[in-house]
Amino acid sequence: MTLHSRILGAASGAAIACTAFAAQAEVLFWSTQAKPVEEAQAMREQVLADAGDVDYQPNDGGPWLTRLQAELQAGSGTIGVLGALHGDFSAMNPDDLVDLDDLGVMSASGTFNDLAKLGTGSMQYIPWMQASYIMAASKEALQYLPEGADIDALTYDQLIQWAANAHEAAGEPKFGFPAGPKGLKHRFFQGYLYPSFTNGVVRTFASDEAVTAWEKMRELWAHTNPASTNFSFMQEQLLSGDAWIVFDHTSRLAQAFNERPDDFVAFPAPAGPTGRGFMPVLAGVAIPRTAPNMDAARALVEYMLKPETQIATLRATNFFPVVEVALPGDLPPSVKAAGDAVAKMSASADANPGLLPAGLGDKGGDFNRVFVDSFERIVLAGHDIRAVLDDQKGRLAAIMEETGAPCWAPDAPSDGACPVE
Amino acid sequence: MTAVTTDVAGADTRRAGRWVYVSAVGLLCAWVLVPLYFLLINTLSSPETVNSFPKPFIPEFDLGSLTFFANFAGMLTALKNSILVAGLTMIMSIVIGAPAGYALSRFDFRGKELFRLLILLTRAFPLPLLALPLAVMFIQTGLDDTVFGLALVHTTLAIPFAVLITFALFSGIPLELEEAAWTLGCTRLTAFSKVVLPLILPGITASAIFAFVISWNEVFAAAVLTIENRTLTAFLLQNLDTSPLHLKFAGGFILVMPALIFIFAVRKYLFAMWGIASR
Repeated sequence: MTLHSRILGAASGAAIACTAFAAQAEVLFWSTQAKPVEEAQAMREQVLADAGDVDYQPNDGGPWLTRLQAELQAGSGTIGVLGALHGDFSAMNPDDLVDLDDLGVMSASGTFNDLAKLGTGSMQYIPWMQASYIMAASKEALQYLPEGADIDALTYDQLIQWAANAHEAAGEPKFGFPAGPKGLKHRFFQGYLYPSFTNGVVRTFASDEAVTAWEKMRELWAHTNPASTNFSFMQEQLLSGDAWIVFDHTSRLAQAFNERPDDFVAFPAPAGPTGRGFMPVLAGVAIPRTAPNMDAARALVEYMLKPETQIATLRATNFFPVVEVALPGDLPPSVKAAGDAVAKMSASADANPGLLPAGLGDKGGDFNRVFVDSFERIVLAGHDIRAVLDDQKGRLAAIMEETGAPCWAPDAPSDGACPVE
Repeated sequence: MTAVTTDVAGADTRRAGRWVYVSAVGLLCAWVLVPLYFLLINTLSSPETVNSFPKPFIPEFDLGSLTFFANFAGMLTALKNSILVAGLTMIMSIVIGAPAGYALSRFDFRGKELFRLLILLTRAFPLPLLALPLAVMFIQTGLDDTVFGLALVHTTLAIPFAVLITFALFSGIPLELEEAAWTLGCTRLTAFSKVVLPLILPGITASAIFAFVISWNEVFAAAVLTIENRTLTAFLLQNLDTSPLHLKFAGGFILVMPALIFIFAVRKYLFAMWGIASR
């Protein structure tokens, strides 16, 4: 026996011994959502308790994707069901996901169901849950609201005035913006600022209206806590008092409302000259083609779409149902607050709802980068707005041409790739 | 008169030097201890206190955050896996690294310098780059999702340290000691085991500790290569960055504690190594 074969023998022996310890769970639910420990715990104990043998494993995006790619390349896997954002799925090759048309479940929203087809003819993932971005404020700040402003129908100018008043009263800037490394700032530009000022995202990227939008952003930044470049979850700054008025993802504000429900208010995003732009967040569940137990995986996807599971998911993650459900009365404060704010936002007369970027494939990250870079250059570094936009415009146009992605709302529809005008 | 002045000046300099020395020591201790102390305080505080400012200096012994983790499914298994992986990494990196270090310090062979450089190269590639091909291979060979497989990867990461530390240690032991043993009837092997090994043992233990800590702290490979057999770091760390502040502190505390206890338990070997290395 050579040394080589001995080592191999020992290795495989140890490997077998180790695998023997592992309890074989039926379905591995490999998710990028519900990652915070409390949410993961609630997913396991409340949402998935009746789903049979499910192992819920939330991950960072990097390991999530690497593991999935490894299983796809190796042609065999352990992942049964994938849970991720629309953007994660759209970056994948649709062939790697099992078609789910014959499952018979889908969301109540036709738009979401179309998005879930990822440009193919059939459902590649099933919409699972949705959220949005809203504003929240500490009640302390309400007294500084500008004269005559209605908190449920603010304009960008009123918001800036409010932030300025709070700045003056507190002696330090009290607006909070999630511009940290893990913050979702790009969504503010894509889904809120641009639609509200330019009624578009891609077509109007470098328009004169866009210059105005960035000027407003600069004005707002003057009253923004400069430490915002470190903030990623505005609930923390609301609770600590570092920020009084903030913008963030509903589930990233939840903790503040749940811990001190009487201290904070949630309200719709502000409106600009072209309406009150806002944008949904959509998460879905899918099955990779390497799933070891296809039937169990399908059963789990169906289970996730049941009304009672959807309500349990809402409690666990602060993501709202995508199917028709009657919401119970005893929901946590964060859900009520966020639900009300989103409802007011969509029902407002000047609502200008946008859609998630679609058809960008794995260029989604580059697309976000264009907006983040523009923000950093214009607002943080103080470069000339026109020059930066003209510069970034080329990058954006290249991404759109390379992917051939057609325009999505609020941009006017296009034949072929969405043009940057 | 002049003599007195010099004397006073000398005493002043000595006092100043002493003051600098003491404050440097104090600063270094605080550098390490203050963050750990804040970690402890915040772990033992209620969520309200964690979010408030200024922070209290005395913990209020609120066990809420820790209780949460005590009930967190899979913590104990993950802890066991972490210890197993770190233990295996420790053993393998020494078994492979120490002979390599010995060979480097005692023998001249072609490409020795190149070998010393190459060994560092395992740290030159970021894991996220290597993880995909590794994971594919692991899945195909059945090493995937095993403690042993992950320990292999961590061993690769720890080996440069094991080799270079033991190389430095062996180089610090004069060849004459071994030669003397040979003249007194020892073979190469017995000379090594009776003379060199006892001298080197504390150093080897110390490099084993490095291997342990490297394995304990590694997240990416652990998150990609294991699923059922997650290590504590992979299990907790990814989820902590998005968790509320008080749970971040408690989770951080739980991650740091076992490694601290381990290092504390073997500290005398660590100090012993410094003794050898500085000789």
